[in-house]
Amino acid sequence: MYKTSWGSTLMTIILSLALGAGAILLLGYDPIEAYYQLFRGAFVGKFNIGGVMERFVPLMLTALAFAVSAKVAVFNVGVEGELYLGAIAAAWAGYAFTGLHPLVHIPLCFAVAMVASGAWGAIPGVLKAYWKVNEVCVTILMNYVAIYFTSYLVGNPFSARASIPRTPTIEESARLLRILRPSRANIGIFVALGVLVLVWWMLYHTNWGYKLRHVGQNPSFSEYVGIPPKKAMIWGMILSGAIGGLAGAIEVMGIHGHFLDNFSPGIAFDGMLASLIAKNDIRMVPVLSLFLAVLKTGALGMERFTGVPKTLIDTIIAVFILLAAMEGLFAYSRRRSARSSGEEAA
Amino acid sequence: MSRILIEMKGICKEFPGVKAVQDGLFSLEEGEIHSLIGENGAGKSTLMKILYGMYVPEEGSIAVKGETYPSLTPKQAIGLGIGMVHQEFMLVREMTVLENIILGFEPRRGGRIDRRAALEKIEYYADTYGLRVHPDKKVEEISVGEAQRVEIIKTLYRGAEILVLDEPTAVLTPQEAEQLFCILRSMKEGGKSIVFISHKLQEVLAISDRITVMRGGKHIATVAGSSTSAPELARLMVGREVFLGGSPVPAAKGDVALSVENIFVPGEKELSKLRGVSFSVRKGEILGIAGVNGNGQSELAEAIAGLRQVQRGRVVLGGAEVQNMPPRRIREHGLSHIPEDRNQRGLDRFSDVKENLAACSVSEPPLSSLGVIRWGKVREFAEGLIRSYDIRPAGADIEASGLSGGNAQKVVVAREVSRKAEVLLASQPTRGVDIGSIETIRNELNRAKEAGAAVVLISSDLEEILSLSDRIAVMFEGRITGEVDSSEADEEKLGLLMTGGGTHV
Amino acid sequence: MDGLNEILSLVFNATLVRSTIRAATPILYATLACVLTQQANILNIGIEGIMIFAAFAAVTTSYFAGSWVLGLLAAIITGVVVAAFMAFAHLKAKADIFVVGMGVNMLAIAMTRFLLQRTFGVSGSFHHNDIVPMPRLNFDFGGNALLDTLFNDYSLFEPVGIVLVFVLAFILYKTVWGLRLRSVGLNPLAAETAGINVTFRKFEVMLYSGVLGGIAGAHLSLGYSRMFVENMTNGRGFMGVAAMFFGGANPFWGWIGCLIFGFADSLGSRLQSLGLPSQFILMIPYVVTVVVLTLAMMRKKRAETARKSAI
Repeated sequence: MYKTSWGSTLMTIILSLALGAGAILLLGYDPIEAYYQLFRGAFVGKFNIGGVMERFVPLMLTALAFAVSAKVAVFNVGVEGELYLGAIAAAWAGYAFTGLHPLVHIPLCFAVAMVASGAWGAIPGVLKAYWKVNEVCVTILMNYVAIYFTSYLVGNPFSARASIPRTPTIEESARLLRILRPSRANIGIFVALGVLVLVWWMLYHTNWGYKLRHVGQNPSFSEYVGIPPKKAMIWGMILSGAIGGLAGAIEVMGIHGHFLDNFSPGIAFDGMLASLIAKNDIRMVPVLSLFLAVLKTGALGMERFTGVPKTLIDTIIAVFILLAAMEGLFAYSRRRSARSSGEEAA
Repeated sequence: MSRILIEMKGICKEFPGVKAVQDGLFSLEEGEIHSLIGENGAGKSTLMKILYGMYVPEEGSIAVKGETYPSLTPKQAIGLGIGMVHQEFMLVREMTVLENIILGFEPRRGGRIDRRAALEKIEYYADTYGLRVHPDKKVEEISVGEAQRVEIIKTLYRGAEILVLDEPTAVLTPQEAEQLFCILRSMKEGGKSIVFISHKLQEVLAISDRITVMRGGKHIATVAGSSTSAPELARLMVGREVFLGGSPVPAAKGDVALSVENIFVPGEKELSKLRGVSFSVRKGEILGIAGVNGNGQSELAEAIAGLRQVQRGRVVLGGAEVQNMPPRRIREHGLSHIPEDRNQRGLDRFSDVKENLAACSVSEPPLSSLGVIRWGKVREFAEGLIRSYDIRPAGADIEASGLSGGNAQKVVVAREVSRKAEVLLASQPTRGVDIGSIETIRNELNRAKEAGAAVVLISSDLEEILSLSDRIAVMFEGRITGEVDSSEADEEKLGLLMTGGGTHV
Repeated sequence: MDGLNEILSLVFNATLVRSTIRAATPILYATLACVLTQQANILNIGIEGIMIFAAFAAVTTSYFAGSWVLGLLAAIITGVVVAAFMAFAHLKAKADIFVVGMGVNMLAIAMTRFLLQRTFGVSGSFHHNDIVPMPRLNFDFGGNALLDTLFNDYSLFEPVGIVLVFVLAFILYKTVWGLRLRSVGLNPLAAETAGINVTFRKFEVMLYSGVLGGIAGAHLSLGYSRMFVENMTNGRGFMGVAAMFFGGANPFWGWIGCLIFGFADSLGSRLQSLGLPSQFILMIPYVVTVVVLTLAMMRKKRAETARKSAI
């Protein structure tokens, strides 16, 4: 909410990488070589760049989903559940409908996914708007319900009866075109970027977006000016859920071709943390998502060529998040104390 | 001659932009009940909070039982035997009465709480001073009167000899207030000394030995309770101040534009709940609603604007019944509202000036078309208003939090008055605003009236009410205690109505 | 009909009670850790990470030092250190406790995976005969099968956990320390004016939470099992948080919540071994918690409306 100081975020990135370099050194490897291979592993070669794109799409969309919910002042920790619901809904629409043209089938799958996960997102929205139920708690719980539910679906009614628990393979007409073979990058990235731009435009250039933003920023003011706070909050959550569901749909339609039980190792949590570090600023969400995607993809190349384990990169990412959370240590607290003494008795 | 327990001299306390206390003077004799009275912003609460160590004064000295201090901490104050019962109770609602009383001063047996010792001590105070409480009930289950008794026992339990009560009857019914007075009298007999902060003259006259009047942060007078009267106190409290405006501007009066009929409105405090409030306002007139803050005025404004429920009764605006409609629809029926709370309600501090100015009109053409906001047009609109209302600094993209109080209020006024609504509801419109902006804002209210709007002006500033209103209604404890024409009104009459004089007790 | 009876008797028997308690115990320590901090109004969502760190420390120390006591000690120290870091980040550096907690969770998974590789040269899991587990409590019931199933062969910290529930309840509601802690969470302003140092108390309670988290981790890797598996908490920390919410931050009701989770877990595995879908059973504790929370807030709202009413 306060003007973000991107300088300190940059400092945090540099500090984390420096700590990482130190750790690499202690392990007996050459940090320069390691980071070089990290860089190569992310940017050199179609497979690697494609790998970055593959990871970037769900990260960015789930981060965007969280950022949208943050705009209406709701902490939607349930994006992971919405990811799963969207994925299985898209997978079902992908195999259940046959004989459709891709230009019909693909949007249909997206729509089914977004409706399912949007409706799921409405639930905590309603509970918070009407009864002030703690949404952090409810959304965490609902994640499990969603994941178990999809697990049931993939094990029984929607099962492909294959060796691994998954749904039947979707029709060709529902698949997203691959780009940059042999990687798994697909045109889903254009969809994701398009959604990002659309959401940004909608929030800052339309009436509906104006309402959503103000309800989150200042509910008293919004109520007084005539924006119905409950409705806006619920719609914000529906949108957030829908975006999370879209991420799941793209995973199914672009990467796997079916819904796989437990396919997400916590993608939405990474996305959520990326958004939190970006202070829920929609313009920075893709930047931080890209940063994380680059690190994760590059880590594979780094491990292959230098032997530095990729768990080290995971550790550095976690350290970065912790440091970034504390980045306010100097700047923020100074501003805070200046404000509080200035607002003593008005 | 009783000894002087407390002597506060030359106290000065300033907050950003506001001199809360100037040259504050107060003394307390042992065994007396000394009332401290004044209007809102007179400085009485602040002065006592300084005594209790919650604020540090810039200048002045506090002498307690002979020892002089430049300032105190709450711990020191408690140690010196000073206890304060605040307007906002410092009670943990989910814990029991007993737990609240002993918190921080628990009698122990090892690590355990010694319940029996606690109960004994509580019963002692309850019996000695008539403070009936239920030790094992949770605070959220007891009445407000009992909660106050809990706060009093808390201070006694911590060893207070001197009790400061800040507007204690603001939350009590008349019966509970009587009970409180009995308690205070028996405490006085028990050797305690009491400071009673209030704005209600009848009560103050009933129990005080001495009465100190404060106004505008200054000490005005200290008189003996037995030798003064309500009219005299009202005059001292309200006083004569520099007149900015003068008298209300004449204008042609039209039909009734707003009619409030016997409304019942909920409130957090017992005495700010509205129970049967009625009045009406015509086009081309300003109805001033006077009263000390906390008597239901905020609730009244919110009820009319749709921000608070109206449980019973009607609000008729432009011929339609608008009570309990969503705020947007009430605005569409012809209401503009300058809210009391500029920072939380009137403005969105995180948005810029143009978004704030356009907030009510942004969803319609010409500022947006087909749901898309035309930011260019919004800027034009905002710049126009910035010019007409002389808002400084003159920039549409400046963040609202960067504006001074006066200019921020001008943004609110600009937005609301420029809508040219049939009814303009202005709640404390010049609070915290500099002299220059005050004049601008008051002129705007008059211009709206001349253009035929019906204006409701809610203000605790009596001078403002007198200089702008054609008719004046006074609110006290959730009801309208009187309505007078401005030609017949003077400070004394209004002061009495505002402080409960002439009605009961 | 007979088939159904058979299934029912297979599923519901004394061993179900036993396995419920066994499954509930790791969650219970997490719940108690969260209950403590929640009383000070701190949501310790990083308990999952604390448990993972502690579990690893316990196994490693037990393996190298040949003692479960030292393993437990190492786990507790680890828990306290992590909790202290979180407390510092939240209270001093003003970091959002949620982000810090989730960050710690991430760090724990990554770092333990890394250390598992470096220290033992394996990935996935580490088990070895040299890992000294926690002792088991054995009583002789003279061959009575029912008593034997219900009360024999407990890992040490299972009954300790149950005792701890009541100890914690006593401390919270009957002692001076507990009273002051609760006031810090419920009304910090009232606590401050009563002379209680709110920040100090919050810091203190986080450390105690770290102790409980350490025990939770140690029990998980040395009591409940006898190995370290990557991400072995598998959401049990979050279940602890959920059970805490279910119980309204009360130790006893939190324990009931843990039993519900443990029951669902045990019942779920039974159904799974019989080839029946278990997911709806596994969902139950979560759904129940959401319902309980919503009902509580509805009641609160109704009470508030009545209090403010002018009629």
